[in-house]
Amino acid sequence: MGKYLIRRLLWLIPVIIVVSGITFILMHSAPGGPWDRDTTARQVDQNTQRILNEYYGLDKPLWRQYVAYVIGDFNKQGKFVCGLVCGNLGPSYRMRGLTIQQILFMPPEGKNFLYSRFGYSMRLGVFALLFAVAIGIPAGVIAALKQNTIIDYVSLFIVTIGISVPNFVMALFLIILFASTLKWVNIVPRSWDEVSVWVLPTVILGFGTMARTARLMRGSMLEVMRMDYIRTARSKGLAERVVVLRHMIKNSLIPVVTILGPALAALVTGSFIIETMFGFPGMGRAYVTAIGQRDYSMIMGTTLIYAVLIALANLSVDIVYSFLDPRIRLD
Amino acid sequence: MRSKLLVFVSVLILASMVLSACQPAAATPETIVQTVVVEGEVREVVVTATPAAAQPEAKQPVLRVNLGSWPDIIDPQKSSFVNEIAHLKLIYEGLTKLDGQLNTVPGAAEKWEYNEDATELTFTLRKGLKYSDGTILNAKRFEYSILRNIDPATAGEYAAITDNIAGAVAWREADVANLSEEELQALKDGVEVKALDLNGNPCTDYEQEDCLILKVGLDGDPATPEREPAPFMHTVLSLWVTYPAKEELIAEGGDIWWTSSKYHIGNGPFIVKTLEPFVRGYFVPNPNYWAGVPTYDIEFSYITDSAVAFEAYKNNEFDIVPLVAEDLAVVQQDPVLSKEAQIYPGSCTFAFYMNQDKPPFDEKPVREAFAYGTNREAWVTDILQGLGSPTLTWIPKGFPGYDPNETRYGFDLEKAKEAIAKSSYGSFENLPPIKLTFSGTARNRTRFEWLAAQWSQNLGVKVELDPVEPTAYTALTKNRETLPQVFYLGWCADYPDPQNWLSVYWMSTSEFARRYGFANAEMDALMKKGDTTLDPQERLTYYDQAQKLLVDTAAVIFMVNNVNSYLVKPWVKGIVFTPQDAGWPGDVDPLSITIDTSMIP
Repeated sequence: MGKYLIRRLLWLIPVIIVVSGITFILMHSAPGGPWDRDTTARQVDQNTQRILNEYYGLDKPLWRQYVAYVIGDFNKQGKFVCGLVCGNLGPSYRMRGLTIQQILFMPPEGKNFLYSRFGYSMRLGVFALLFAVAIGIPAGVIAALKQNTIIDYVSLFIVTIGISVPNFVMALFLIILFASTLKWVNIVPRSWDEVSVWVLPTVILGFGTMARTARLMRGSMLEVMRMDYIRTARSKGLAERVVVLRHMIKNSLIPVVTILGPALAALVTGSFIIETMFGFPGMGRAYVTAIGQRDYSMIMGTTLIYAVLIALANLSVDIVYSFLDPRIRLD
Repeated sequence: MRSKLLVFVSVLILASMVLSACQPAAATPETIVQTVVVEGEVREVVVTATPAAAQPEAKQPVLRVNLGSWPDIIDPQKSSFVNEIAHLKLIYEGLTKLDGQLNTVPGAAEKWEYNEDATELTFTLRKGLKYSDGTILNAKRFEYSILRNIDPATAGEYAAITDNIAGAVAWREADVANLSEEELQALKDGVEVKALDLNGNPCTDYEQEDCLILKVGLDGDPATPEREPAPFMHTVLSLWVTYPAKEELIAEGGDIWWTSSKYHIGNGPFIVKTLEPFVRGYFVPNPNYWAGVPTYDIEFSYITDSAVAFEAYKNNEFDIVPLVAEDLAVVQQDPVLSKEAQIYPGSCTFAFYMNQDKPPFDEKPVREAFAYGTNREAWVTDILQGLGSPTLTWIPKGFPGYDPNETRYGFDLEKAKEAIAKSSYGSFENLPPIKLTFSGTARNRTRFEWLAAQWSQNLGVKVELDPVEPTAYTALTKNRETLPQVFYLGWCADYPDPQNWLSVYWMSTSEFARRYGFANAEMDALMKKGDTTLDPQERLTYYDQAQKLLVDTAAVIFMVNNVNSYLVKPWVKGIVFTPQDAGWPGDVDPLSITIDTSMIP
């Protein structure tokens, strides 16, 4: 297991190099740069643009910019500034003065890491996943056990809504229902320290994953239920509870776990919709706006974080497999 | 096997417990107090506790404003967007400022004076000015902030706006990499911004109480060796780029000083108490503000989704929110909301630009024909749903230099046909297909499809739509080589002076005119006369002539002036609305605003 882990973690290095290389080429092939602003604003003048390009090394050939980003480069004072290999994700061209790691991981004054943009997204992502699992798996199981009954149809109906309704529509609907009409929560959270303000974003963010989990769980259960070993378990006189819990659910979980890993990575890296609608201070918005703003370091940084999280999530999924199915060996 | 499952389930339960434990841990602290200027940082910071910050629990009404986007940077010498400026205007104040009629009035300076030929501007600061922490604010602070704006090391996005300060261009555009320290210092010393005491001696430090004079050397045209007058600079120096952030706090906070409320010690009407990215900015009144103390706190929120902000406004969670076109019909039909809508002229003009380097728009009659053939009124009613006003000229209504008598090139299909007949094409059918390039947002697609249909229907021309990703669009329109055939752009006033509308934009040497290949010697001469003439009325006549010539060239199809549109709760009283409002109405004079708490439900 140890060797397997080390081997998988070492594989991250070529993954990061390939992902960063592709991202770098793609973002630089898009026309425009970080100093091309909104067309109604006074554009940065040519001289200032020259100074800024020199300062940030954007005047250098692309291959050198890439090497500088990944390994590092000497700055104007002749000091070596280490790059990605030292965990430096580069300077933001929009929030000048801040580095990408500061923007994403530095909490506001007097707060801890959980209040950084990544911290907020991570918390919301984990809550959303817990919601998805806590509702999705039981819903899938019950729907399968009560196949073609009203319970199954209701569950399928909710699942279909979850998959087909975009989350911004659902967000607006739930806001109007719970905040405007029932007045159970505020629309604009005054403080993210209150538990209640997390409920709507968690439900909206987790709803799609919940629906997919329920659907997958149902399908997987239906397949497992017809297996010979289930019949065997029943014929040897096992209690129905034991058959369902130990034999059906456990074996049905494998495909569900497969999607939950990448889902967690996607959920903890934030959601543009949730953040723009609730003023949620996560990192999903950083990713999307950086592309339009050509904030190159932010595009690279967020992409790499996402890539690493996906890789780690897949690794965790593989490890969980071995717990769920003893036939799967990692070495 | 069972034990493995147990381990897995236990890990899941444990994880959920740990995560839920994270949250209540955060539930206790009151966020406002965390970032108070004085909290826990006193030993390191030079500032002292402010009376307002020391009484955070005082019952003060709060003006809750949805500002939209969280600012990218809140540094007076590096900021450039309205949401950034909205923060700076609360915390700081310039030498001069604008009043409700867009006149330049005294700010930190009680008066200013030009010398005879307007090549030198002398400000006299108010006596006894203080920062919010009680420390002295003297002219040396303004000297620092103006120089910091020009400094090539700052590389501020609005640095060029103070180019009419003598010596500014030489230092700002210096080839820093190839100059020695001494040479750079000489360039800095060549910038004519000097803080003096009342006896005319250079000030020594930031503590000097009689350091109240700021002399600024001017050059109306830095491109020529002669010193030219620049009688508009008292208005330019009202801008945020001159706001006196403290040198020692900027040094102490380093590159990210602006992210922390403790380094934003200012001289404006408010003190920033909390800057919590994307969540809120909280401001309390500055008891040391010379003009008086506001009677309310301000809370900025940053909800970018207008539909959510609108719901929150209806739910009484905001006092002021921007009103967007999508909600206008609902607001107008609602008896309460319709009274709370505030729609008034803005500071921008939008126009279609025609590339004069390429056929067919290299011919004036073709440009004229398109100007006649474009229905601005229909654009405003059908596309902007009334949120805008059609225009036939460049400077918008409400700004000095507005020409209310301009009627040329209004929508007239007969004249359009006459104009095209004078061109080498003879008629619209002979024109090559017209490529209309625009920033390809969903909203814009509808707009420009409408326009293409109009041009096809009214003029019979073939219009090819060319949506481009927004940043790529900006890049295309910034370079004469890549300039599209027809495109849509706007200009919003930096400050209310015709110089900003005309010379900054249309002078053949300006960056904008060069991009569009626009050059008109007669206009140049008139604009230069306007820039350098001392008499305010006479100046306006030159600009007026220049603007008339601009319309005459048919270089662009003037389309609309924007409107500022907000929803304002009835208990917010005394707002002074101006076209130059930055991000929220009332920022031009926050002291005039009161909140009638008896009306709040």
